[in-house]
Amino acid sequence: MIYGGKNLGVIVQNITGRQGTFHTELMNAYAREVGGQGVVAGVAPGKAGREVHGVPVYNTVKDALAEHDATASVVFVPAGAAGDSIMEAAHAGIELAVVITEHIPVHDAMLAIAYAKLHDCTVIGPNCPGLLSPGECKLGIMPAHLATRGEVGVVSRSGTLTYEVVDELTRAGIGQSTVIGIGGDPVIGQTFVDALARFEDDPHTKAVVVIGEVGGNLEEEGVRSTDLPVVTYIAGVSAPPEKKMGHAGAIIEGGEGDARSKVRRLAALGIPVASRPSEIPGLIREVL
Amino acid sequence: MKLLEYEAKRVFSGYGIPVPKGVLIREPEEVTAHLQELGDAVVLKAQVDVGGRGKAGGVLFADDAAAVRTARELFSREIKGVPVREILVEERLPIEHEYYVSIAIDRSSRQPVVLFADAGGVEIENAAREDESAVRRVVVSPLLRDIPPFLMRELLGGAPKELAPVINSLYHVFQEKDAMLAEINPLVTTPQGVYAADAKMIVDDNALARQGIAVNRDLSEREREAEKHGFSYVELDGSIGVIGNGAGLTMSTLDLIEYYSGRAANFLDVGGGADQERVMHAVRLVASMPDVAVIVVNLLGGITRCDEVAKGIIAAGVAPPVIVRMAGTNEEEGRRLLAECGYRMLESMDAAVKAAMEVAK
Repeated sequence: MIYGGKNLGVIVQNITGRQGTFHTELMNAYAREVGGQGVVAGVAPGKAGREVHGVPVYNTVKDALAEHDATASVVFVPAGAAGDSIMEAAHAGIELAVVITEHIPVHDAMLAIAYAKLHDCTVIGPNCPGLLSPGECKLGIMPAHLATRGEVGVVSRSGTLTYEVVDELTRAGIGQSTVIGIGGDPVIGQTFVDALARFEDDPHTKAVVVIGEVGGNLEEEGVRSTDLPVVTYIAGVSAPPEKKMGHAGAIIEGGEGDARSKVRRLAALGIPVASRPSEIPGLIREVL
Repeated sequence: MKLLEYEAKRVFSGYGIPVPKGVLIREPEEVTAHLQELGDAVVLKAQVDVGGRGKAGGVLFADDAAAVRTARELFSREIKGVPVREILVEERLPIEHEYYVSIAIDRSSRQPVVLFADAGGVEIENAAREDESAVRRVVVSPLLRDIPPFLMRELLGGAPKELAPVINSLYHVFQEKDAMLAEINPLVTTPQGVYAADAKMIVDDNALARQGIAVNRDLSEREREAEKHGFSYVELDGSIGVIGNGAGLTMSTLDLIEYYSGRAANFLDVGGGADQERVMHAVRLVASMPDVAVIVVNLLGGITRCDEVAKGIIAAGVAPPVIVRMAGTNEEEGRRLLAECGYRMLESMDAAVKAAMEVAK
């Protein structure tokens, strides 16, 4: 378990939106199942006094924190206002902001992440599915039923591909300590380096699956930074250059960040690289 | 979205960055009217979105007598397969020295990074590859409005101080115009002062609306059509159509096709909450590509309703066979609906891709 456990108090920003409402219910269902705190308050400007699945709504993060004990926020605010919402959370004292929102302008993300850092607020995402520590805590939108508790960490730039890998691991009888999606944008708060550092401090994590994709070189940077046994998979071997493959950050630019050279460099470091998701459980067994 | 040189120069010029006198022409004869203003030596630059444009023959020099003829020559060319429809004709600058400056996003530090080299021009990338110290780099906190003087000094080294205001203006462009990249190569010194001899800029696709850009030119017509439905879509050149949910899973499906020595026709990520309507549009869009022989649908997620997806596939009613792998709620109902109409639903993405390969043969 990294970033937070059962006792983590959570707020949801834009709790009255479709996604915010839906996932508040799922997060709290999970919290009840594992005996955790879950979502204790929601924020939606101008909608104070309402309730969403029994969770009270406030106009601002500050108002919510005046009434409730929470240190984490899950952000479902639309792209144009999401940067501001991250800064609002950090300013009000939130210590961990998990940003689900996709399509945030990258300059807004840079500014919000820098501002959050000034206030000692850790940002996960944007454009991420959040995290799930099976049996402990779920922040975000990951489908909990695919996961099972265990000793393998999973960190990924992707959403559904992460679920695919978690499903493969679970079916192979390999449980997970924490599964975290760090986001598919070019600028994200927690990179592979940060997530792997947390896994290294977590006594329950014995090995980590790193799921990367085209764009940038942060997978290699992450893998180089950790002493934990790591297995990697890089999506986008067949991606053409200069084309955005769904994620804003998944683009081969100026001849850099292509999957084949990532795979080559990881292999040169002696890191096992799966050539398809179904190979991952086998490779993890070898390093455990 | 990438801007063309003349568009980027207009933006830069609006921030006080000096650019050469120039005029955009669409017909060779148009150049005549502007020669007096541009002087007796001009440079003609094809406005095409092509890297290595100069080497590919997209930049020509001429004196005033030969300007029309040279323009005609350049209009008749294709630069790396791209026809020349617009030419930027500029005064020829008396260049003393060429520098390189580029501002981009450093993913590792999550901050803007400014790159500078004492030797600009076409060979900068090779020079940087051979000697890393040829390019100096500083990262600037996004909380700052300007590049602070101490960082500017570090960046410039021994280069002339008169470059500093231009680089700082470029930083303002980068911040205020939502740029992913703002670059001047070469940035030149002349007896008359500093000029941006070339200009390059990429605007963040997620900020086009607030920058007043209505149409993303980097996308093909079909890609734009897909965007209207909320799909991420990329055209490729194989015969196996691909529909997935989530960028990573969809990419991974393409890779699996390549792993089994097939070729994907496209990348289509339907996004979250794939309902009947969206799935139908996605299947029809992919089936509308002429080379598609078979379509693989690979959907996974806690909230994907398999019965909805099945109805969407059936409603699309396309000619190429559709092979489905999905996991979510109402899986059994989805399987039953598909089977009734003769579609195959498989348990794993490996199995689905293998089955599609068989059909494609």
